[in-house]
Amino acid sequence: MSAVGARTLGSARGGAKVARRGRLPLRPIGVYALLVLASVLVAFPLLLALSYSFMSEAQITSYPPPILPAGLRLDNYDRVFNTIPIGRYLLNSFVVSGLVVAGQLVTSSLAAFAFAFLAFRGRDLLFFVFLSTLMIPWEATIIPNYMTIRDLGWIDTYQALAVPFMATAFGTFLLRQSFLQIPLQLRDAAVIDGASSFQFFSQVILPLSRPALSTVAVYGFLSTWNQYFWPLLVTNQTLMRTTQVGIVQLRFEETLRWGFVMAGVIMVAAPTLALLVLGQRQLVRGLTAGAVKG
Amino acid sequence: MKSVAVPARGGQPCARGAAGDSIAVVVMAWTPRERRSFGTALLYLAPSLLLFTAFVFVPLGRTIYLSLFFTTPTGRLSVFAGLDQYTELFTSTVFRSGLLATTLFVLYAVPVGIAIALILGVLANQRIRGINIFRTLLSSTIAVSAAVGSLIWLLLFNPSLGLLNFVLSRLGLPGPNWLNETGLAIVSLSIATIWLMLGFNLIVLLAGLQGVPEELYEAARMDGAGGLLLFRRITVPLMGPFLFFLLVVDTIQLLQAFTQVHVLTRGGPVDSTRTLVYSIYLDAFQNFQFGFASAQALVLFLIVLALTVIQFTVIERRIHYQ
Amino acid sequence: MRRLMVLASTLLFIVSACGGSAPGAAPGGGDTGVKVPSKETTPAGKIVFWHAMSGVNGDAVARIVKDFNASQSKITVEAIFQGTYDDALTKLNTALTSNSGPALMQVFDIGQRFMVDSGEVVQMQGFIDRDKFDTSDFEPAVLNYYKVQDKLYSMPFNSSSAILYYNKEAFKEVGLDPEKAPATFDDVLAYAKKLTKKDAGGATVRYGFGPSIYGWLFEQWLAVSGGYFADNGNGRDAKATKVMFNDEKGKAILDWWKAGFDAGAFYNPGVDNDGAANAFNAGKTAMYVESTARLRGHINSTQGKFTVGTGRYPKPANAPADGGNIIGGASVYIMSGRPAEEQQAAWEFVKFITSPAVQAQWQSDTGYYPVRKAAYNEGPSKEWATKYPQFLTAVDQIRTAPQNRKTNGAVLGVFAEARRRIQTAIESVLLGKSSTQQALDSAATDMNAAIEKYNKTTK
Repeated sequence: MSAVGARTLGSARGGAKVARRGRLPLRPIGVYALLVLASVLVAFPLLLALSYSFMSEAQITSYPPPILPAGLRLDNYDRVFNTIPIGRYLLNSFVVSGLVVAGQLVTSSLAAFAFAFLAFRGRDLLFFVFLSTLMIPWEATIIPNYMTIRDLGWIDTYQALAVPFMATAFGTFLLRQSFLQIPLQLRDAAVIDGASSFQFFSQVILPLSRPALSTVAVYGFLSTWNQYFWPLLVTNQTLMRTTQVGIVQLRFEETLRWGFVMAGVIMVAAPTLALLVLGQRQLVRGLTAGAVKG
Repeated sequence: MKSVAVPARGGQPCARGAAGDSIAVVVMAWTPRERRSFGTALLYLAPSLLLFTAFVFVPLGRTIYLSLFFTTPTGRLSVFAGLDQYTELFTSTVFRSGLLATTLFVLYAVPVGIAIALILGVLANQRIRGINIFRTLLSSTIAVSAAVGSLIWLLLFNPSLGLLNFVLSRLGLPGPNWLNETGLAIVSLSIATIWLMLGFNLIVLLAGLQGVPEELYEAARMDGAGGLLLFRRITVPLMGPFLFFLLVVDTIQLLQAFTQVHVLTRGGPVDSTRTLVYSIYLDAFQNFQFGFASAQALVLFLIVLALTVIQFTVIERRIHYQ
Repeated sequence: MRRLMVLASTLLFIVSACGGSAPGAAPGGGDTGVKVPSKETTPAGKIVFWHAMSGVNGDAVARIVKDFNASQSKITVEAIFQGTYDDALTKLNTALTSNSGPALMQVFDIGQRFMVDSGEVVQMQGFIDRDKFDTSDFEPAVLNYYKVQDKLYSMPFNSSSAILYYNKEAFKEVGLDPEKAPATFDDVLAYAKKLTKKDAGGATVRYGFGPSIYGWLFEQWLAVSGGYFADNGNGRDAKATKVMFNDEKGKAILDWWKAGFDAGAFYNPGVDNDGAANAFNAGKTAMYVESTARLRGHINSTQGKFTVGTGRYPKPANAPADGGNIIGGASVYIMSGRPAEEQQAAWEFVKFITSPAVQAQWQSDTGYYPVRKAAYNEGPSKEWATKYPQFLTAVDQIRTAPQNRKTNGAVLGVFAEARRRIQTAIESVLLGKSSTQQALDSAATDMNAAIEKYNKTTK
């Protein structure tokens, strides 16, 4: 959504490396106290969900509202496993997110290569066409897209969930920026070797661009994983639901059983929280370059 | 992959027509070399272009087209409406209150969300032991999906079970009916959204804060400036481009927010949280008025387009602050 | 090559020049020639059934399906929960033209006209006539509700009635007779004021009455007040052309509701029915009105906390004799888009779920009352009635209601939208955004426009 902003941030950060990193000087003990307080407040909803997931219905409806569970009661998790195909939901989300990431890596790296290394007429115009897709919100085209999927008979299929998102202007833009950092001498050397453009692309450029590719991957994974509106529209069968749709369905299906719903919430949130801890650097880089969530 | 290029009925003949030779006259003469290089480039671009055509450009055209028709209860085009649905849209009180809800949502959630993130960002930018743990905790909501976050907030806002009202009652304050009062529901929605966006905002601002040169602070401190003054005079101005970036990106995000509304308020009470996107959903997929919903989708498109153009022009002018 | 170049440089041109699909013919209304499969058709081995039953009621559906699958070896039914009734209907619409719809679909009462007009259902009457299926012991009120021009398009499955739930312990606490539920609007208001309890700080800890802002409740009140929801005999003599709820009868309902709310005696749980149930379970409200289908859930959730009492649906003191409660709940439709074998299998399942034994079990698991009288002779039903005698009052409420156009309920293509619009009107009254008459008039204006549009596009 924000390719232009991304460039801005890139240049700002690049320039900053020259100077020593600056910080607003604050008193350490006060800072610690504030940090602890802020962290507790921010993490509180998640911790509360975790706590509720161990509670019985009786405890949840007791007054005053409890904060800590009476014990490590796993009944709610048990019920989630036994009443909804949560494993299947997770699998679906993984498959769809994986397909989107794979598709985006292929389409965006190919396009970025053309924009970064090939000279051809109409390059600027085509680049503008790519960027213009960033100005069209998905929701503005969701009705015809839904009709397309319906008419193709793709309702309840992985391709309905994945294919519309397999091209990414944002990823193309990011990769193009990264490709442009690659020294031109490499290209000249490749030409002397007699490498065709595709060999140059696949054997030289791609291996050199792993960090940027992983940024596109993490970002694509996260935004696909968290989608709700589109999967809600194009899936009807229980077994094709993604985690996000499944979990909200739980809210309507089990509305008076909050412990149960929270157990599901924790199970759905766990993979992305793990991704945050493991892939934080890529994630941060991808998101600073402009992220879309929702 | 090959079926991707075939959008629903009507899309295909149209794509063929566009590629037909009849329009070729608009292209100036190309040298064989140019053609060759263009052909090569197009091979690389084709996958993306096909997908964009099928799922972005053609659908946008179809949205325009659909907005000119009434549709049957099953979503088939029925009677040509011309601009009737636009007239209806701009005279409709529901649409007007929807625009108001959208505007309030943006006005509440975006500035407050960015301000909180900036304060936390300054805190988390200190070079002290264990700071990475705090950064991870503070930005943890980046990994929380809107669906998950909304469900948790639904529990927090619950007037019978929720903790918010219990805490308030202990403070001697009456616990409001968070999601069922017209003025308040949009505020509650904003609170949940601010929390959801915090992780992203914080990460962006931290990246910016790390780029503020320390010499500036030292020089100012020698002049006797205190923390608050430094924050106001140095941090905020230097962070300008980042703050502006967030302002635009967060606004666009919020304009597209669906999940929170769907889970928390479903557009109510009295349409007070019926944001533009939610209105599109209600009219298209609950009232089965695809044409009318398409007209609203175009309004959404135009708003986002305008914001993006503003971002382009303003940000481009303000890049070189150093 | 040339074509590719052109494609690139004219992408934007496509956007402006390219339309979507051409206008297709609208599917015709009701009596399209959708054929009932012949009696010899072999039932399909597997069918899908979509429903909107959540919580304990969802468990009860799962039990029925399991019993059916175990009772014979030819047909396997897969039940899928598709969200609230509204969401499920949205889902169905999504699926209609693709090949992903169910063979059997549970649709709420007010989705009737929409389903008939969609032209996507096989008339249930066709199966009934073909197999000479006996419907003579079905509850007349239920049959009357689901008959459109004397034909059943769907089979009634889960029927409910709106009743008053109250907390007996709270009644005792404030000196009210726990065996006597309030009968009229005025009673409810007076009781509610008595039952409302505030703490030292002036904050309300218990409200007397807490109905959710649910359009169905308004429709019920309108019917017991003897009012019409729509013209042309509630849309039963001919397609409705306008709504009629904005008369003095409708206004009286909202005036009463608003008075209780302003007095601080009525709680507003919003449009969330589950929120209203939550509040009642938690003791935050002492009375509320909802479907009998909630009964089992309340009994389970309040065990050890308080005793749930039930009473007849409250009505205005001057309610005329021709008014009465409309049945609620849902019926099941056999979808014409699925192969004849699946339709045949769905019919087998329909016969199973309306059998007296299943209906009796269903009653005791949920609180819906049986759609046929024979079910009351079955074990589970008898036990249930002994244990919760108040339940029978709810059945009587339906049995004793006069059968006429008012109490048979409205049939309206845009009923779901109308229900939501009424809810918005009620909200705007309670929250002081408009007067009762203004709110109802504005809802009526909007709905008349929607009806006009609907009739124009369906013919």
